[in-house]
Amino acid sequence: MPETTTVPAVEKRVVLDLDRCIECKSCMAACYYGHGQVTGLSFVDIGPALLPVVCRQCSDPACIEVCPAKAMKRDARGVVARGLFLCRGCGSCVRACPFGVLSLEMVGHHVAKCDLCEDRVAQGLTPRCAAVCPTGALRFATAAEIEGEGLVVLGGRIAGDHPIQRR
Amino acid sequence: MCSRPLAEVAEAPAARCLLCNVACPVRITKGGPDRYLPDYLPHAGYAGLCGRGSVLVDLLDHPERLLGVSRRADGACRTIDLNTAMQEVSAALRADGAAAILVDGNLDLDTLAATGRLAAGLGASWSVYVPPNDAGLVHGLDAGGGTFIGPEDLAAADAILIIGNAYATHPVAAHWVFEARRARPRMPVLVIADASGVTVDFATGVFQPRLRSGENARAVAAVRTGQTEPLGPDARALATWKERLRGGKSIAIVVGAELDYADARALGTEVARLAAELGAKVCPLTTYGGAWGAVRLAASAGAVPVEKVLAGAPRTLLVMGVDLDSSLGESAAGPALGKAERLVYAGPMPNRTSRRASLVLPTAFVFESAGRALLGPGREVRFGPLLRPPAGVPTVREILAALGVAGEAPADVSAAATVAAGADGGQPEDGSPDGLLVAPAQDPFHFADGSLTRSASWPHVVRPRPVLAMAESDARAAGLVDKGRAVVEGPGGAVEVEVAVGGTQRPGQARVSAAFAEVRDMFGWTWAGRRPGSPIRARVRKA
Repeated sequence: MPETTTVPAVEKRVVLDLDRCIECKSCMAACYYGHGQVTGLSFVDIGPALLPVVCRQCSDPACIEVCPAKAMKRDARGVVARGLFLCRGCGSCVRACPFGVLSLEMVGHHVAKCDLCEDRVAQGLTPRCAAVCPTGALRFATAAEIEGEGLVVLGGRIAGDHPIQRR
Repeated sequence: MCSRPLAEVAEAPAARCLLCNVACPVRITKGGPDRYLPDYLPHAGYAGLCGRGSVLVDLLDHPERLLGVSRRADGACRTIDLNTAMQEVSAALRADGAAAILVDGNLDLDTLAATGRLAAGLGASWSVYVPPNDAGLVHGLDAGGGTFIGPEDLAAADAILIIGNAYATHPVAAHWVFEARRARPRMPVLVIADASGVTVDFATGVFQPRLRSGENARAVAAVRTGQTEPLGPDARALATWKERLRGGKSIAIVVGAELDYADARALGTEVARLAAELGAKVCPLTTYGGAWGAVRLAASAGAVPVEKVLAGAPRTLLVMGVDLDSSLGESAAGPALGKAERLVYAGPMPNRTSRRASLVLPTAFVFESAGRALLGPGREVRFGPLLRPPAGVPTVREILAALGVAGEAPADVSAAATVAAGADGGQPEDGSPDGLLVAPAQDPFHFADGSLTRSASWPHVVRPRPVLAMAESDARAAGLVDKGRAVVEGPGGAVEVEVAVGGTQRPGQARVSAAFAEVRDMFGWTWAGRRPGSPIRARVRKA
């Protein structure tokens, strides 16, 4: 049954500048160690590069719609969050996510889900993945802020001159 | 893990990650009753933190960590107290006319100097272990002189030459290159590195050296002299690089010491020459944060190469923090370790050397103590502890004090290390023409031998299986296709990999992901007597 929440999607998201990612996986390590050794961040191999993908906090999330346990819901912040004790690890959301950012956690048999570092954002800090990124490829910003720099926001990410090739 | 007062630590000088010479400041916060989290609050000198830096918290509470003293006798281990153990070690070192001490070079400088004083007092030979490629690079550069900079100074450069896959091996150093590019988008960033590495993706000019001893040094020499013939026809572009770099007013050369660099000393020498001709500043990147200071100290304080210590067949050998079996290869280190009547190992984690030892002492990690490190010429830093060591676990300095090292004389590392005090990383290419020449891909996490961090599991989430990057002609000859499965058979065994066919590899050579234990086993470095990172000849067939 579709989620009927009226909470709007969070405005500030983690976005990736394809032109600056050096595939160092610092974001992955930060997420892993910051979330009890479970990572809510995935990597996709697009051939020329291996890029991190972070939940783009959709305004109409398919993961919420398909979750049979109602473990996925949008919280008061507008962040799509997973209820740890409700999640059965069925993987429905993993298959439904059009961006491939969800994955089954191998040990706990839960779905690992980015919570946008609730503990840090509440203190006015940036999520861990963006905070550690050496090159500034991952940023915590609104679409308006990104577009204000003359960059194009594409699919929740920042694209440069070319969607794959680096500047 | 013992309870350690965080409030005291918070007031201490900044802790540094010394897993490379970028030496990022690191802090931790308590993430619960039984664990710690890396802290990513912005603080002085902060420009990010790579995966290795994050792993420091993992090491603090590592389940295999050495926390007690154990003595091995008649095949059985028995726990004894630290004081008894120290008395035994002290007596053995003093009674023996053929004692030797080997210490890891990635320690506080003054601790290294104190080790030298202990050895001098005992009349024992001693050595400071620095990875051979680091040692070779430092020797080559230090002897050549010139102006050296830290990675933070790269932001001011307007023309950069990078030798090695620096973005993979030292990700945070990339921060300042990107800062420079942001200010000067059209600046030249020329790269001599393997084309499958990420650094070349951001380059304005690339040369991929062959997997051959000294090839990087030859490439740098070709840039300097314009003579590219020895490198083949595809190196002709190197003849123009000098002029391209000269277009800048602030030229920087970034040179990294990666494990598969053969002949690192020659590379350092060539880089120093090129820098002198261009008026460029050199930013050296080493795998040990304190490599520069350790090499200088070893040269000035009478340390001898590790191989020389082992060749002396010491009856009593005190090894502090070095896994000789893994670092030198079992065939190189094994005989001497086997002959030692008393092998004492002191370190934070168990390893192959500790498993041979008759007495094993726990020590703190370097980031659990305060001290000094020389990251490069003019780049001395003081660092504080990230946490205090667990209860009952001494620092190396405390062990030295218990062994009777007197005085607190600070180490002097102001003089350049012009004496070749260690073997460089040069290894000849395997002469066999059969098979494919395979080297490990530089990985941001396992770019070194992974000895500290190999147990971490998250890199496998990124890539679930190893990938073999190879040229299309080699793949065709072996009947392989892109994204197909293949088996690589090396001296240490066989491993199944996914094939990535593309134009990034030269025909005849290939790279395979290093972040997998089975891949490192396949290389067989340890038992084949080859240094970690060395290319091997391997047979590749369809799975």
